[in-house]
Amino acid sequence: MEPTDTLLNFENVWKIYQMGEVEVPALQGIDVKIKKGDFVAIIGASGSGKSTMMNLIGCLDVPSKGRIFLKGQDISQLSESDLATFRGKTIGFIFQQYNLIPTMSAFENVMLPLEFQEENDSIASKRTREILEFIGLSDKMHYLPSQLSGGQQQRVSIARCLVTDPEIILADEPTGALDSVTGENILKMLEKLWREKDKTIIMVTHDLNLAKYANTTIELKDGEIIRIQDG
Amino acid sequence: MKLSKCLKHALNMMIHSKLRSWLTIIGIVIGVSSVIAIVSIGEGMEQSLNAQIDDLGGDILTITPGFSRSGDKHFRYLPTLSTQATDDETVLDRSDIQALKGIPDIDLIDTQIRGNVDVSYRGETGSLSLTGVDQKVWSKITTEDIRDGRMLDSADQNVILIGASLADNYFDQTLGINKVINIEGSSFRIVGIMDDQSTNVIMPIQMAYQVLDDKEKDIYDSIVVKIRDEENLDVVVEKIEYKLMITRHVTESDRDFTVTSNVQIMEMRSEMMSSVSLFLTAIAAVSLLVGVVGITNTMFTSVLEKTKEIGIMKAIGARNRDILTIFLFNAGLIGLVGGIIGVILGIFISEALPYLMGDLTLASGGTIVSLNVVILALSISVLVGMFAGVIPAYQGSKLKPVDALRYE
Repeated sequence: MEPTDTLLNFENVWKIYQMGEVEVPALQGIDVKIKKGDFVAIIGASGSGKSTMMNLIGCLDVPSKGRIFLKGQDISQLSESDLATFRGKTIGFIFQQYNLIPTMSAFENVMLPLEFQEENDSIASKRTREILEFIGLSDKMHYLPSQLSGGQQQRVSIARCLVTDPEIILADEPTGALDSVTGENILKMLEKLWREKDKTIIMVTHDLNLAKYANTTIELKDGEIIRIQDG
Repeated sequence: MKLSKCLKHALNMMIHSKLRSWLTIIGIVIGVSSVIAIVSIGEGMEQSLNAQIDDLGGDILTITPGFSRSGDKHFRYLPTLSTQATDDETVLDRSDIQALKGIPDIDLIDTQIRGNVDVSYRGETGSLSLTGVDQKVWSKITTEDIRDGRMLDSADQNVILIGASLADNYFDQTLGINKVINIEGSSFRIVGIMDDQSTNVIMPIQMAYQVLDDKEKDIYDSIVVKIRDEENLDVVVEKIEYKLMITRHVTESDRDFTVTSNVQIMEMRSEMMSSVSLFLTAIAAVSLLVGVVGITNTMFTSVLEKTKEIGIMKAIGARNRDILTIFLFNAGLIGLVGGIIGVILGIFISEALPYLMGDLTLASGGTIVSLNVVILALSISVLVGMFAGVIPAYQGSKLKPVDALRYE
């Protein structure tokens, strides 16, 4: 039985990609536990396996070997459909390139996860409005992504991630496409969510300056954890 | 995701890829409109033919010289083919009339000859089809109606009846009652105009012998009989055939005449019309098929183009069936919009085509766009749209989120 405060548990996780006839291990025997309420930064150079680990944490991919427990549930035991529902309710994604749907307004983009959860229309609209107000975009909710600045788009993507009230926020290079001031604002927003809303935040970054916001830093190299630093 | 939301997203997708959606829709529009137009014209023609069959009366039989042994029973009833099979010696003459008079089931007997003649009126000339009839009987047998003037009378000499098309359009000036036209050098007065769309000229048979040089007196091109009881049609046909075979000294194997009923001709024409109509519908269906291939192509492109969006949607909680439903609805919507426009265009074409073609027979029958055809066409367009979208939508729904997200 997993300890109750462990949200995510990697047990000897391997991810091996087949490149033609060659097997390329992206992750090699990762063992790590992430507790509820942690702010974890996963750092490492390009090719160190950060993105692969991120995909596995986000249930977007399954490990080649080993087991991953999310909230005590072995994710490789779930069907694709259950995994999608589980992912939708538990994890919120923030991507480097925001990944908003270009043909939908900010409001529609934020409401989309609730539609997939078949949430009641009036509740979904109310919740979407509240979130957009919370991130300070209530005046731009009917704008298309192309009509918003990079920072605004990233805030919309944070709003979309928060609308389902997920336990985990998974941020992949969240400031990678932003200037340093806007990037810092986004990071402060994440920190606020962590401190005030008690979210578990897992952030992948190559920027060591951003890692200082986290309370735990996991450093990867060549698919292996070389250092875990608390505080 | 609720179905109503899937529909909303499908509509959004269609609206945001306007050009491609419209190009695909045009494919469906062409297919559906041609099916609608052809089916409705076909139904119109069929109804018009059925009305003509009803008008004909089933009590008229035509006897022509010659007998085609092509093997297909339908062609035996085609008078033109039968006549072609006639050789010089095979004729109908007075002895045949005598034989027919001995059959009590026959009420009236009309003798006819036919030929092409040069007609002139006020300096204009033309070649027209002339029919000489036994004027004492013809008016009682014919199914023609008189629009102006009167029928031929037993005492008539140099008078003619003409078709309405000849009266109204053939010459620069319209021909009316009592106008005199010249046929092969002789003058004839018009006493009646028939209520049809032909350019035929009808005159007493005795006058026709004089006008048509190559016709020998008392040799007929056809004998038209009216029988007493329509119900006995088949029996009377057999009696006539039996009697004529005896008097003409022929057997079934070397038979040299054909007995045709008008109803048979019209039924055969109706059958032919149905086949033509079916054939044209099949061609239209091919264009619909091309439209379906167009939708499939569009959907594959669409899925490819939206790969990243599929990844995003999956990351934020979309299940496979949500993606599948959205793309299926998108394809169905393209089919539906194409279907609706196609039906409207099809109705328009079917209304306009008979006039554009100038076929007045067709126009008089009109075209019939039945509600069934419209509903069927719409359901088919939605179904074929969704059918065309099945494979691309399935492929899209099966994309792994991690791969889809990485797609640029």
